[in-house]
Amino acid sequence: MDKHAQEWLIPTPSRLKKQLRLRSMPWQMVSGIVLLVCLATVPLALVSRARSKTSTKPRVHLFQDMDNQPKYKTQSPSPIFADGRSMRPPVAGTVARGHLEGDDHYDRGFTMSKEGDAWSVSYFKGFPEQVVVDDALLQRGQERFLIYCSPCHGADGLGNGMVHVRATELKQASNGWTQPTDITTLGDREAGHLYNTIRNGIRTMPGYAAQIPTADRWAIVAYVRALQLSQNATLDDVPADKRDKIQ
Amino acid sequence: MDVTIQGSSQKFVFPAWINYLLPLVLILGAGGAVYVPSLVGYALNPTTLNVGYAPVQPVPFSHALHAGRLGMDCRYCHTTVESAGFAAIPPTQTCMNCHSTIHNDKVTLAPVRDSHATGKPMEWKKIHDLGDYSYFNHSAHINKGVGCVTCHGRVDTMDVVRQAKNLSMSWCIECHRNPEQHLRPRDQITNMTWDAQVDAGQPQLALGLDLKKKYGVHDAAYMTSCSRCHR
Repeated sequence: MDKHAQEWLIPTPSRLKKQLRLRSMPWQMVSGIVLLVCLATVPLALVSRARSKTSTKPRVHLFQDMDNQPKYKTQSPSPIFADGRSMRPPVAGTVARGHLEGDDHYDRGFTMSKEGDAWSVSYFKGFPEQVVVDDALLQRGQERFLIYCSPCHGADGLGNGMVHVRATELKQASNGWTQPTDITTLGDREAGHLYNTIRNGIRTMPGYAAQIPTADRWAIVAYVRALQLSQNATLDDVPADKRDKIQ
Repeated sequence: MDVTIQGSSQKFVFPAWINYLLPLVLILGAGGAVYVPSLVGYALNPTTLNVGYAPVQPVPFSHALHAGRLGMDCRYCHTTVESAGFAAIPPTQTCMNCHSTIHNDKVTLAPVRDSHATGKPMEWKKIHDLGDYSYFNHSAHINKGVGCVTCHGRVDTMDVVRQAKNLSMSWCIECHRNPEQHLRPRDQITNMTWDAQVDAGQPQLALGLDLKKKYGVHDAAYMTSCSRCHR
């Protein structure tokens, strides 16, 4: 036993106090633990950030389960076909069941006749017999008019819809934009003519056949008739008992 | 006590500060046992993983402009939503209805014009993507009074569309159990700001229960059966 140790073993009061005090942890250990606790909040911060922000990258898909099956769903792409579609367009020259469109009045709104070498088109004046013009049809027509027609023609049909307002704001007349027709002035157009315009378009207006099915086109024609009447109506046209409401 | 006697055998003696370390280890261990699983759960939560996906589309189409400022109805473009399971992404022709004469020289719209000229479809990125084993039907929901905004959020304010709801199974089930909390009249389906109290003058619950009966929405047992969504 060396001298140094011996000195330690002789308990004087001051030595005893020093010996009994628990020695503190080394600073490396303390700072290591503090660092570990601080670092533990980093993943939490990253997750919170991911949660509050948008991401342009596809979501993390940890558990695939059967989320993405090797099958084609509506409008999904396919590398098999040159145009990249899995939904195939009908073969040219074929007609799908229920899409024959064999009724001139209901499906086309006009007939064509030949005199000599010249073809002439005559539009049907009224509604086809399949179309019953009643309140339900007008309601449907109003709803469809507001969806498909009002962006350009306006809810009142006067040709001042929001798309026209925007096109005017952007000075698009130089690109070919023209103000939509005020359809309340077309009261003398045949119903078949209005129908054909919805289906095939006219001048700069494109056809809406792909967006509006046949029955809805006629509902819109009926509603356009109602707009034409209401926009050119006088107080005398309103039933006597309802005049108070609008006066 | 870290007093070792020189010349004695080489025994390891724990340093004195171990007495401090022991409670610390217990505290850190217990904390970690709560913290780590919570963190993993939070990170793998469908809301964390799914919400906020906003991919870059081939054309920077703004719903905020078209559906918001111009007030176009959702169905102008998504025409099949009332009659089919899938709410169709519009064909290029629908864009060209207006853009043949508006901004028909804009550079960002070049892919649309190319698509229209060549017949090659636009490749829009799908944002709301359910698992392929769930057979969601848009028309069924639309016709029973579930509005677009209920699942897609305020698309009319989004310049870039992002996923607003987590579309997890528990999120679907929540509504299938209590549809009355979310139903609205059919003619308000595409209205982004409709509110039962403000627009119908009734509390949502009362109106929802009426509509549930009116539209023939089934009871919870039917609505939460596995085969409603999985076939």
